[in-house]
Amino acid sequence: MSVRSDVLLWAQRIVGKKDAPPHTVLEIPQGSTMEDAQAAFHKLARIAHPDLHRTTLDEAELELVTLAYSRAAAAYQDFRSQRMQTTRIRPIGKDMIIPGARNMTADDAPPPGQAAPGASSMSSKALIHYRKAELSLRRGDLRAALLSLKMAIAADPQSAVLRSALAEVEGELAKNP
Amino acid sequence: MSVALGIDLGTTNSVAAIATPTGVEFILGPRGDRVHPSVVAFPTSGGVVVGQDAKRYRLTEPANVIHSAKRFIGQNIRAPLVQLAMTGVRYKVVEGPNQQPIIEVRDRKITMPEISSHVLLHLKRCAERQLGAHVKEAVITVPANFTDGQRQATKEAGRLAGLDVMRLINEPTAAALAYGFGKEHKQLIAVFDFGGGTFDVSILRLNGDVFEVLASDGDFFLGGDDLDRALAEVLAAECHRMLHFDPRPHASIMTKLSMGAEAIKCHLSDNDIAEGDIDGIDMPGGGLGKLSFQIQRKHFEELINGYIQRTIDVTRGVIVSAGFDPADISDVLCVGGSTRIPLVRQRLAEVFGKEPNTSINPDEVVSQGAAIQAGSLSANLSSGTGMGARDAVATAGHSTLAAAAGRSGKTLPMGAAKRPILMDVNPATLAIQTVGGFTDRLLDKNSPIPIEKTRVFTTARDNQTKVEIDCCRGEERKYSDNEPLGTLILDGLQPKPRGDLKVEVSFRVDADGILHVSASDPESGMRQEAHLQVLGAPTAEEA
Repeated sequence: MSVRSDVLLWAQRIVGKKDAPPHTVLEIPQGSTMEDAQAAFHKLARIAHPDLHRTTLDEAELELVTLAYSRAAAAYQDFRSQRMQTTRIRPIGKDMIIPGARNMTADDAPPPGQAAPGASSMSSKALIHYRKAELSLRRGDLRAALLSLKMAIAADPQSAVLRSALAEVEGELAKNP
Repeated sequence: MSVALGIDLGTTNSVAAIATPTGVEFILGPRGDRVHPSVVAFPTSGGVVVGQDAKRYRLTEPANVIHSAKRFIGQNIRAPLVQLAMTGVRYKVVEGPNQQPIIEVRDRKITMPEISSHVLLHLKRCAERQLGAHVKEAVITVPANFTDGQRQATKEAGRLAGLDVMRLINEPTAAALAYGFGKEHKQLIAVFDFGGGTFDVSILRLNGDVFEVLASDGDFFLGGDDLDRALAEVLAAECHRMLHFDPRPHASIMTKLSMGAEAIKCHLSDNDIAEGDIDGIDMPGGGLGKLSFQIQRKHFEELINGYIQRTIDVTRGVIVSAGFDPADISDVLCVGGSTRIPLVRQRLAEVFGKEPNTSINPDEVVSQGAAIQAGSLSANLSSGTGMGARDAVATAGHSTLAAAAGRSGKTLPMGAAKRPILMDVNPATLAIQTVGGFTDRLLDKNSPIPIEKTRVFTTARDNQTKVEIDCCRGEERKYSDNEPLGTLILDGLQPKPRGDLKVEVSFRVDADGILHVSASDPESGMRQEAHLQVLGAPTAEEA
């Protein structure tokens, strides 16, 4: 039997096993480990990865193989996620956004050409760094925020908004270095 | 004969290459350069100029020279980062349909995919001239953490340039492919990709011909451009002090200082001190001024430390999310021009406890990987292609690889190569909104792609005939804290008591990293498939 028909038979089998548990989709015994699943998926990919059949299967066949492979990938991910933890850098957050820049979220940013309220008093150069600082804060990166704020102040030493923001960030850094 | 091109479409520079039976061949610009600036000029004298020739208009007509378009492509103009990027460029960016950023230059409105298509078309033409063959297909690389909208817009750019974009692949994955193709490695590697505008880090397991990405993260708004800007600020302050005027309101002087900053940054990668003059500065009172500078590497490092720290924090995070320890990683690849900075390499050595691998060319390796993948997808790859890929360090002349392979005495038949298997990951958690404004995750960040996952949901009210499915991207529990992607509507359902009606929602991320969502009623067999309209992406009418 040719590789081509083997792959098509496999794809039909997998697509027919909708809602089956991950080990069944990967065709490995129940109780298999992440390493077993990885070995099985790599072996499978070497034969059935849709990229390998791009030039030899017709459109409908390729779609079938892609669907089967995509479901096998989801089954493999169930094994992988047991091992990997999704880490998140917690934003320290929404309460820490610099005063005056509160409205600067993706949804309700002011229209282009119009500065954020409170930020209107600073030079455009300072505003670049100021916004960068705000973004760093959302990521919870105090050190990067501090750097950006210092650069903002270098660009506009007069701005009171910037000075108070710097003090706030320095205070926060002192609390959790 | 038609060939398939591999293209690294960068923020500052682009590189194109093709896989040949004897190695990877680079596409050269009109002056023989491998690296093509991603710059498009619309000079007042007319026409469109791309690449190295476009750069020289930066000083004379800064408003007509479009650079760093990658920072805007596929983005929502109202996003804070885009607003930030807009203040850093001298050309005019306005809001277009679907909240996409549009460029206004010489009374014309041009979309971001169109700008990038000029760069791609330039590469296509250079390739056709050099190879004497038609170029129809291409693999284009994108930052690993590019969103759906950015990916769609990049594909659109390819289409506008007359290319069939066979695949978008992630830049770090492409680098890993160039590094490991044909070498049968069995190891864990990290790829640290710090370019002109974006930063990515990926952990991969190389298992012979299988390249499996285990985890990837990054910041598509952190790169060499930011370091240049920090340094240009110092030069501006120096200008204020020495020449007694503030250069910041003057676009052309600031462009000059930025270009000076870039040169100083590069010089400081190999030297402890950068000294010199920037002359030809137009003084406000007339005449030309000269700015002398003396910048020590230590001073520069202090200035950029915050940015570098951010890349290191992300790197540590990604190792943990892959479930490993830094000591498990056997090689660390440095990709992107910004990895030439000694501080970056030093910090990486601290994290991993070993020196990073610097034997690859950080500017070219991504396009080499793209070329290998292009060859593989068009089923036109031979095992000679990988030969000497690592020996391509900073060598000039496009035939070096071929010559190296030739010297090794190996002539390999076409089609003899085992085609590499790329297992990339989706960069973000994808979820839908459920009752109470919370999310239900369908696909986790770092899942292998292509992937499809289906979940069954029930209705929340009696006799509900219509279901709206709000999709979002992000890790937060509350829907409103994530980035909304769009809403899918399933209408005309049979009225049933709540909980009795089942709705099946499936999320599919294709091999390009683009999301497709569909919903169906398994009983009636009714199915509605919709490609989510992402804000900032080209609209369906344009496509």
